[in-house]
Amino acid sequence: MTTTQAPDPALAISEAIEGIFATVAEVRRVTLARHAAATAAGRRFADEDVRALAPAYVDLLRAPGEVAVGLGIILEPGTLADHPLRLEWWQWSPQRDAPVPLEVDLHPDSVGFYDYAAAEWFAVPRRTRSRHVAGPYVDVHGTDGYMLTFTLPMEVDGRFLGVAGADVLVTRFESVVLGRLGSHAVLANEEGRVVVSTSSRWITGCLLPDDELPPAVPLPRLPWALVEAPA
Amino acid sequence: MRLLSGDARDALLTPLGDAGRSEEVARRLGSAIALGLIEDGEQLPSESQLAATLNVSTVTLRDALADLRQRGLVETRRGRGGGSFVRMSQAALAALSRERLGEIGVSDLRELGDLHAMAAGTAARLAAERASATELARLRDLAARMGDARDATDLHRLEGRYYIEMAAAAQSARLTRLEIEIQGDLAQVMWRLRPDRSAGSVAAERAAVVEAVARHDGDRARALTEAQVAEDTRLLIEDHITMTRSTAS
Repeated sequence: MTTTQAPDPALAISEAIEGIFATVAEVRRVTLARHAAATAAGRRFADEDVRALAPAYVDLLRAPGEVAVGLGIILEPGTLADHPLRLEWWQWSPQRDAPVPLEVDLHPDSVGFYDYAAAEWFAVPRRTRSRHVAGPYVDVHGTDGYMLTFTLPMEVDGRFLGVAGADVLVTRFESVVLGRLGSHAVLANEEGRVVVSTSSRWITGCLLPDDELPPAVPLPRLPWALVEAPA
Repeated sequence: MRLLSGDARDALLTPLGDAGRSEEVARRLGSAIALGLIEDGEQLPSESQLAATLNVSTVTLRDALADLRQRGLVETRRGRGGGSFVRMSQAALAALSRERLGEIGVSDLRELGDLHAMAAGTAARLAAERASATELARLRDLAARMGDARDATDLHRLEGRYYIEMAAAAQSARLTRLEIEIQGDLAQVMWRLRPDRSAGSVAAERAAVVEAVARHDGDRARALTEAQVAEDTRLLIEDHITMTRSTAS
């Protein structure tokens, strides 16, 4: 006998999220493997190690069906022997047919200094040592896109090395989960900002008024909650 | 944080249409310097690479670089580690903007002002509904820093960033990209610090908008922004008319 199951929004969302975090976990895995190899060879993790990882990141980004538009690592200041600050981030660019590296200014004295250690997607996983999703936000400093940034902390023997992460366009995330949300389902982040919703009253980017809404169901291990919006 | 990067940088360094005159190349590079997309001391890409990015011939690019060199905005070093490097010069940027402001028509300036009022006004109204506490803090900080601007370039950079961050706080990537484009155009004509427009008054005006946004008063945030853009546009047009008349006489 077949029965029509009501869609489970929490399940749809967690499946989408686990898929993205699987890619981020792979970024972390290849990075930590390289780190371990450097340590085994008796030397400190260095710029050449990070550069050698780029092809692996590009391959992940080019994999068929990959949801992320950008991915890579951002290192805790002082991790490398030869570069106090370092990130290795590759992304699809609208004008180009292959991923390109993100170029930012890492000179602390410069007006254009890209102070990544202060960014939410870096600071939160460093503090909590657990995974995080930042956004939706307009990524003025990287891609100009409307973005969600998924990050995982990288640790060796309890020492924080930085984060591995992936950028996912809000539209892309929506297309992955929208069809599986029930009617009047609203997914909001910790600021009460709507991530995706099936209610035309509470749409992506809106801030939910904290006084008017029914209680939200928090999602496991994420700063997100599901709300059943009034019809 | 970097003012703009990634695609914002690409937006200003996009291929030039039709003739691709060397003056236009010089101006584009000038606005990129004024907005902080290319920084003081930064090395420019190789001539062939930069010519390809802008879709101009290397001859045109060389003329533009020679022009910028003569103006003191680019320095070329020979030998190992050589190449063309950006030099930040207030006077040279001001001269470049005066020329551009002289050439551009009143109707062009009016249209640029109209478009900016629309984009920035709408961004402020939407930000009043959608800005998070973090975004508000960033806008407040930018408005405050405008009051301490060291010089005209610093003030315009902060203003540019203020408008772009406001569009980002409206949660609109399209408005943000439009604002970045408008700031690129404005950077070509707005490098002077006007005596009647002190950094302190600019900072206070922007702070008033941010407070309206914080109170969720979208109508007021928009009205204030539109009035500010209209006044800035009027001053630009006045400059243009004064300049054209003094050149003619």
